[in-house]
Amino acid sequence: MPLTKEQYKAFEDVVGAENITDDKAIMPAYYNTDFAAIILPKDTAEVQACIKLCNKFKRQFRPICTGWSGMFPKDLILLDLRRLNKIIEINEKNMYAVVEPYVISAELQAELMKRGFNFCIKGAGTNCSAMLRGHGHLDQTTSGDDRNHLAIEWVTPEGEIVKSGALGSADEWFCGDGPGPSIRSILTSAVPPGVTPGVFTKAAVKLYHWPGPAAYPIQGHSPKYTLKEIPANMMARYYSFPSVEKMWNAEIKLGENEICYELMGFNAAMVACNITTCNEEEEEVFAKMSKEVQGPGFFVIIAGNSREDFEFKKKVLEQIVKDNDGISLKTVEDPEIEGILLCQCTRISASIRETFRAGGAFNSIPIMGQRDLTIKWAIGAGKAKEPLIEKGLIVDDGGAFFGWGVEQGHLGKTEIFCKFDPQNPVAKKAVETWQKEQTERAFKESYFASTMGPQDEIGPALCNYHLWWQKIVKAIDPNGVSPEGGALV
Amino acid sequence: MSLEQYKGDMEMCCRCSTCKFIPMQKIQGSDFSYVCPSIAKYNFHAYSAGGRMNIGAAALKNGMNYTPKLLDVVYNCQMCGACGVSCNYAMDMEVLEPISEFRMKCIEDGKTNPALDKVIAGLKKTGSMVPVKGKRGAWATGLKLKDATKVKVDVLYHVGCLTSYDPEMQKLAKSIARILQKAGVNFGILGDAEMCCGGRAYQMGYKDAFLAQAKKTMAQIKKAGVKTLVTGCADGYQTFKVLYDRFNLKGDLEVLHITEYIDRLIKEGKLKPKKKVEMNVTYHDPCRLGRLGEPWIHWEGKKIPGDRFVFDPPKEYRRGTKGIYQPPRDVIKSITGVKLTEMTRIMEYSWCCGAGGGVNESNPDFAVWTAQKRIDEAVSTGAEALVSACPWCEKTLNKAIKASGSSLKVYDVVELVERAI
Ligand SMILES: Cc1cc2nc3c(=O)[nH]c(=O)nc-3n(C[C@H](O)[C@H](O)[C@H](O)COP(=O)(O)OP(=O)(O)OC[C@H]3O[C@@H](n4cnc5c(N)ncnc54)[C@H](O)[C@@H]3O)c2cc1C
Ligand code: SF4
Ligand code: SF4
Repeated sequence: MPLTKEQYKAFEDVVGAENITDDKAIMPAYYNTDFAAIILPKDTAEVQACIKLCNKFKRQFRPICTGWSGMFPKDLILLDLRRLNKIIEINEKNMYAVVEPYVISAELQAELMKRGFNFCIKGAGTNCSAMLRGHGHLDQTTSGDDRNHLAIEWVTPEGEIVKSGALGSADEWFCGDGPGPSIRSILTSAVPPGVTPGVFTKAAVKLYHWPGPAAYPIQGHSPKYTLKEIPANMMARYYSFPSVEKMWNAEIKLGENEICYELMGFNAAMVACNITTCNEEEEEVFAKMSKEVQGPGFFVIIAGNSREDFEFKKKVLEQIVKDNDGISLKTVEDPEIEGILLCQCTRISASIRETFRAGGAFNSIPIMGQRDLTIKWAIGAGKAKEPLIEKGLIVDDGGAFFGWGVEQGHLGKTEIFCKFDPQNPVAKKAVETWQKEQTERAFKESYFASTMGPQDEIGPALCNYHLWWQKIVKAIDPNGVSPEGGALV
Repeated sequence: MSLEQYKGDMEMCCRCSTCKFIPMQKIQGSDFSYVCPSIAKYNFHAYSAGGRMNIGAAALKNGMNYTPKLLDVVYNCQMCGACGVSCNYAMDMEVLEPISEFRMKCIEDGKTNPALDKVIAGLKKTGSMVPVKGKRGAWATGLKLKDATKVKVDVLYHVGCLTSYDPEMQKLAKSIARILQKAGVNFGILGDAEMCCGGRAYQMGYKDAFLAQAKKTMAQIKKAGVKTLVTGCADGYQTFKVLYDRFNLKGDLEVLHITEYIDRLIKEGKLKPKKKVEMNVTYHDPCRLGRLGEPWIHWEGKKIPGDRFVFDPPKEYRRGTKGIYQPPRDVIKSITGVKLTEMTRIMEYSWCCGAGGGVNESNPDFAVWTAQKRIDEAVSTGAEALVSACPWCEKTLNKAIKASGSSLKVYDVVELVERAI
């Protein structure tokens, strides 16, 4: 149902005529959904005022940062948070940064690198919001997900402003759990729905030490940026192993020794995507690299705080790889390729090459848990991909999966996807079936995949959390204006 | 071409928003990270390239849905191509081409912009993109330049509409003429007979008007029998070199931007910038000399059925890699005393001056807003002058300076060279 004239006017009075539209012609720019309106609030006060109006008029809303993901039913009011784009504070002493939703990770990261810091960036890329939780390349060092959220400013579905953690009592951002209200389980849930009702308008994220350069010495032109030189005390390598067991053993040993700045369980196909500048080249390089690798592998970045530290880490790395019969991929030892990967995998800027470039779409199953177990599940999901590859419905990546540990530990994320052409209905159907079947298998085998759902099916297996969640939602959103819509993974 | 031919490209858009920013690895902080003036100013996703791709794909499915807002989106785009460069770091898909085709479709359907209609009517009537005041070749009075319509010359200097007619810009034509004279080049101009290249009509979406003009202009150039054409205007450069080639009009004409030509003359020892020019400068890459100045790639092919967006024969994309970036920099650096400090957004991911795509005419405030962002960036480098290589850039940047009261100076590369020789 479109907004009435009075409703439209009320929102317009909050944000100004140039920051609201109900013009259907431009809505496909966002999604193929008939939104009731798209609104661009500029700050927390305007977000709050809009949400209060949503309650008054009983209109549903959802917010977006970059709007890359999410589900948006018809007639929704879309709060596009693009104008909330400021880095509020970088607190070097207390090691946190406070950001608004439309600060993208690349912006915050660049500011942090100048100051010797880094933060957890979603594997999706630095083109995403720096504020929303996620997992990615840097998880070994920066941990992952909601563990990085400190205090949060949250506009509830009823339009109240809630300040969590230290912000709620001391007007300080340093802690998400107190003094002041800790509502972590409401604010950032990992299980579906995966996103919070209401809107985050500011969040403090944890910072971590960055041993790398203040800025990379990049040369060349897009799409081939290379490094003038490998920054001091940094190194990138890809190792393959004769078996999954050996690879896992090496991964766990590296974790125990805490020497990797990054350990990303890329498969050869993903390395090929990263280092190539177009589809044709990628197919060629993948074919070549498939012959070079001896089995499953991972990509490692070592970053030393001093020459001695670097040498030590390198030595330990080489020993562990040797002990597990790993071999280093020659392609990555080439300083040009090494430089490309160093920069791309710390500035997280090539995930689109890995996912969308081939056919325009990918369907993924990310599963969280103990890595050696989730890898076993992923091998099965990879086998299930093979008939699709044979039929030419999905891109041939050797049926591979990928993943990484968090905080140098045994827990982490394992993920597997199929890349396909979404305009091909047969391929689309086959991939959706694969995703459904493999998610169901994960559920049956007691793994947690963020593609699981609906809540009333998975809830009973997870202490009936969904019943509690429904009660919470009812309490914080009595008018039902903040529907669920697409989890972050 | 038609919008339909870019269906696959538009459907490839994954809504990642990368096209709103300079390439991720190049982002140096929260300042100067945006690359698309349109989304930076108007904020609704529709104004970004990703938004435009998805609107285009929807239009092919459901038909064009003309509304005032849609037309506002269509005409508030500088056609600067920065979106395509950022997108094509990772994606294999055309970006600027479908944006341009969408606008052409609007024009075909009569959904035009009155300010642009006026410019095109002027072009058809006068052979000029800018209002005609006096004679086109009047700027050359007293310079004793050869008339290429009468005598055979090695090099034709195509002056362009703005430089010819705008009293504030004629200085650039004079500088170029003096530089070429100094280097002993056998060059000439077409004087009063010179006509518009038509390129800005193409940017505005008026393909037929462009083609009609281009054919006339090229016939005149052919008649003059020159092998090399030099232009000081980035729009003109891209038109002669890229668009004329694209539409099979160029033949074997060598097209050089004046900065490329001066660079060549300096390197051959024919021009010696001996005098010291003490100045801290920064350089603004004009879109159509830089990323859009790379050669056209003639290609025709079909998508190979299957899982990937690949073609037979393979398609090579114009990703901004081969634009003209180094020659203007080399020329600037060849002048003793000039210190060049780079801005954040340079070369293939340079921020537009604001004047392109007809925005200068259809929405001058937006053009100046865009230029102002560039001025802010230039000022942040500590430079006292912003140097560019296009009269449209210089004019628009100067308008922003005037509006904001900034003390920054704007020069064309040729003005610095003239001082140094
Ligand atoms: C190619 C690709 C790879 C990916 N890889 C990873 C990965 O490795 N690791 C990982 O963690 N994720 C990954 N993802 C998921 C990714 O994190 C999300 O798609 C990403 O967060 C989207 O961009 P965004 O951060 O700008 O959020 P948006 O797309 O804007 O929003 C995402 C969701 O959050 C909601 N939301 C947005 N803003 C707010 C707010 N201020 N308050 C409350 N709710 C809000 C939205 O309604 C939506 O449901 C991947 C996604 C893609 C497309
Ligand atoms: S046009 Fe390219 S960069 Fe922009 S959203 Fe689409 S895929 Fe991403
Ligand atoms: S051509 Fe320029 S103004 Fe137009 S959408 Fe692309 S980046 Fe924006």
